[in-house]
Amino acid sequence: MGRYLLTLRRFWATALAGQLEYQLNVLIDLLAMAGNLAGSLFVISLFYGPGRSLGGWSWESALVVVGVYTVLDGACSSLLRPNLSTIATHVQQGTLDFILLKPIDSQFWLSFRTVSPAGLPEIGSGLGLILWAASKAGASPTPTGCLTAALMLASSLVILYSLWFGLATTSIWFVKTWNATEVLRAALTAGRYPISAYPLGLRNLLTVVLPVAFLTTVPAEAILGRVSVGAAAASLLMATVTLMLCRGFWRYALRFYSSASS
Amino acid sequence: MPIVCAERLSKTYRVAQKQPGLGGTLRHFFWRRSRLVEAVRDLSFSIEPGEMVGFLGANGAGKTTTLKMLSGLVYPSGGNLLVAGHSPQRRQASFLRSITLVMGQKQQLIWDLPPLDSFRVNAAVYGLDDTEAKRRINELAEMLELGEELTRPVRKLSLGERMKAELLAALLHRPSLLFLDEPTLGLDVNAQARVRTFLADYNRRHGATVLLTSHYMADITALCPRVLLIHQGGLFYDGSLEALTQRLSPCRLVRLELKTPLPASAFSSYGQVEAIDGREVKLLIARDQLTGAVARLLGDLEVLDLEVADPPIEDVIGQLFQKGVVQ
Amino acid sequence: MRIARVLLSSQYAYMLEYRAEIALWTLSGVVPFIMLALWSQVDASGGGTGELGLNRLQLGRYFLSAFIVRQFTIAWVVWAFEEDALQGRLSHALLQPLHPLWRYLGAHLAEQATRLPFVALLVGLFFLLQPDTVWLPSLGQAFAALLAIWMAFTINFLLQSAIAILCFWSERANALERLLYIPYLFLSGLVAPLEVFPPAVRAAALWTPFPYMIAFPAQLLSGNPPSISGGFAAMALWIALLLPLVALLWKAGVRRYSAMGA
Repeated sequence: MGRYLLTLRRFWATALAGQLEYQLNVLIDLLAMAGNLAGSLFVISLFYGPGRSLGGWSWESALVVVGVYTVLDGACSSLLRPNLSTIATHVQQGTLDFILLKPIDSQFWLSFRTVSPAGLPEIGSGLGLILWAASKAGASPTPTGCLTAALMLASSLVILYSLWFGLATTSIWFVKTWNATEVLRAALTAGRYPISAYPLGLRNLLTVVLPVAFLTTVPAEAILGRVSVGAAAASLLMATVTLMLCRGFWRYALRFYSSASS
Repeated sequence: MPIVCAERLSKTYRVAQKQPGLGGTLRHFFWRRSRLVEAVRDLSFSIEPGEMVGFLGANGAGKTTTLKMLSGLVYPSGGNLLVAGHSPQRRQASFLRSITLVMGQKQQLIWDLPPLDSFRVNAAVYGLDDTEAKRRINELAEMLELGEELTRPVRKLSLGERMKAELLAALLHRPSLLFLDEPTLGLDVNAQARVRTFLADYNRRHGATVLLTSHYMADITALCPRVLLIHQGGLFYDGSLEALTQRLSPCRLVRLELKTPLPASAFSSYGQVEAIDGREVKLLIARDQLTGAVARLLGDLEVLDLEVADPPIEDVIGQLFQKGVVQ
Repeated sequence: MRIARVLLSSQYAYMLEYRAEIALWTLSGVVPFIMLALWSQVDASGGGTGELGLNRLQLGRYFLSAFIVRQFTIAWVVWAFEEDALQGRLSHALLQPLHPLWRYLGAHLAEQATRLPFVALLVGLFFLLQPDTVWLPSLGQAFAALLAIWMAFTINFLLQSAIAILCFWSERANALERLLYIPYLFLSGLVAPLEVFPPAVRAAALWTPFPYMIAFPAQLLSGNPPSISGGFAAMALWIALLLPLVALLWKAGVRRYSAMGA
């Protein structure tokens, strides 16, 4: 365990050192964050007019969903995208060989090899939006409420990670899979809005097949202090199952990996 | 107790086939045909600790596949394999700690950062503490004649410097079994020689076993007393390099320096004329007729100097691969 | 002419090789459908058509058209260009007596051809699910829409080319592309029909090229255009503006590239 922590520290120290060369990035990231947030707010404001609302959610509580989405998006930019998009490259160039021959878990290496500060502004502004909107919506923080909210956020992160890693794993067979991750990303934009705003059929699809509901709506409900026990339990179950599936899938895929021939 | 023990090792790949052109593409669109390719078949050999063994073979003979099976990257489709007391394909941590793989055309160093940063990552991965890591880096850097290069970003290093840094990164955990796939590829002659000296040095110092493939025969002749010749996926020869030369080339090369030049026809009764350059003549003479022919040459002609050697190993092996002969 | 034929057929063969990826790309354009689901619910809860200015049928047709337009106007010049520059293929391309941008154009057209069956499949599926939205644009409408789609593609292609050329100066061109995508996403009409924008925002958006890249062709296709001549005039203007800009940038970029001796 200690070895993994030390390795993680070295990983991220080298990653940050590598990226400090490009200061311009900071500006671009900030601009992207501001643009994305403004756009999200703009679109959601279009849904709210006199007598109109989104799936029965008040304007403020819908903003909590946007906030959760923004945090997740930031986590993607910081951790998921930089790491998981390199899996296909490693397969293509055969450098996965080096990783497989290290006495360290290959999934750990591939998932946490690098970190990018790009998502930090988004995570920050997302958290800010959550706090502001939640207080506006009249949520009162209790210890158990905060704990549930944190737990739901964590499990939504785990679900997102597992889905993405599972897709990235298919690059062992198909080599070029970043298109598949684009599909995932497009589908996940459904998470910008509360799940109850969708027609019933789609709502079920987004809960069971593509667990978008657990990504943003359930954590937002937890933050607003109105999540049902059933939904919270389902979210934790979903997180455990997807994580185990993605781990098993990776091991299975490695058996097929025959490494790009010299 | 051998460190590598392979019994009837084999590997079959499934490869998709496609005809060129638009028609082929469209046909491929609807039904994919594939065929099985036997990359390695029935390969048996064993290697003792501390040996330096060269894998020889033409492109696609199965060298790299074999090396990857030995290191645990490729699952064998058949046969038994025991490397350093482990089944390599299970890739247990204790096995991985005792081996390393270096590939001449692939790199593990972080491109934008100095090699030292990559070393620190590797040290953490292999669980080395800082002082020990530093000691080993210094020791290896000295052996490899690396100095300030270690603080320059990898992208600014020359190919030779980068290869030396790769070797350092690969050997930091002091593996006892080294798999080297074309470690000198693309290097200039000097850099090649330095890598060779280093490998021999490392082998002596730590008693490490080295398995090596290379296109440069000089690597093999300098490092490997024993070679395995792989041809079309099977083991064609296992033994010393000299014996291989003898077996492959039934002739020896006799170089003569004459007092006066003579036409080629004058030598036809002694052996096959390889080259004539003024007073210098090169003859290929069958091994069993060598002594008699040399005696006659010395008696019949005015010879100033005479030298007997094996034909260059590159030529012998090259001929073998070109003709594709397997007897 | 012969060059064009060979180029197109070889690119088409190449793209067929990647049909799986292209199918996924097509799928990743589902955003309009997600938005349609949301808008139709809002409409239902709002209880009328007056408020949005569009009825359910028009909404469905608009978003389906937006999906189609998006499919045939996607450009990925920045991505391809960066890849070529990184792999060192650019120097080869510059030596050939054919402007590299033509090569990319050929690749795009070939990719659209590969995409066609997948798009048709999705459109068929959509009609199957919502049979009452089926409509057939008149010949004149279809022709105008086709022309608008091509012009929209041209605008997108030129915009992307301009950014791609900035690769000659900066390694961060793809970050710029990410920035450009944000206003494109929110202002083009991909997430909401322009009719529901507040008037001030709509007026401002019409000064940017973005609404002409999705909304205007989609309106034409769904048979509900605000002003045909105005739209085409704006598109022509943008093309007339971008074309010389790209040509100039390209010249300067190549000069810089050869000066650096790369």
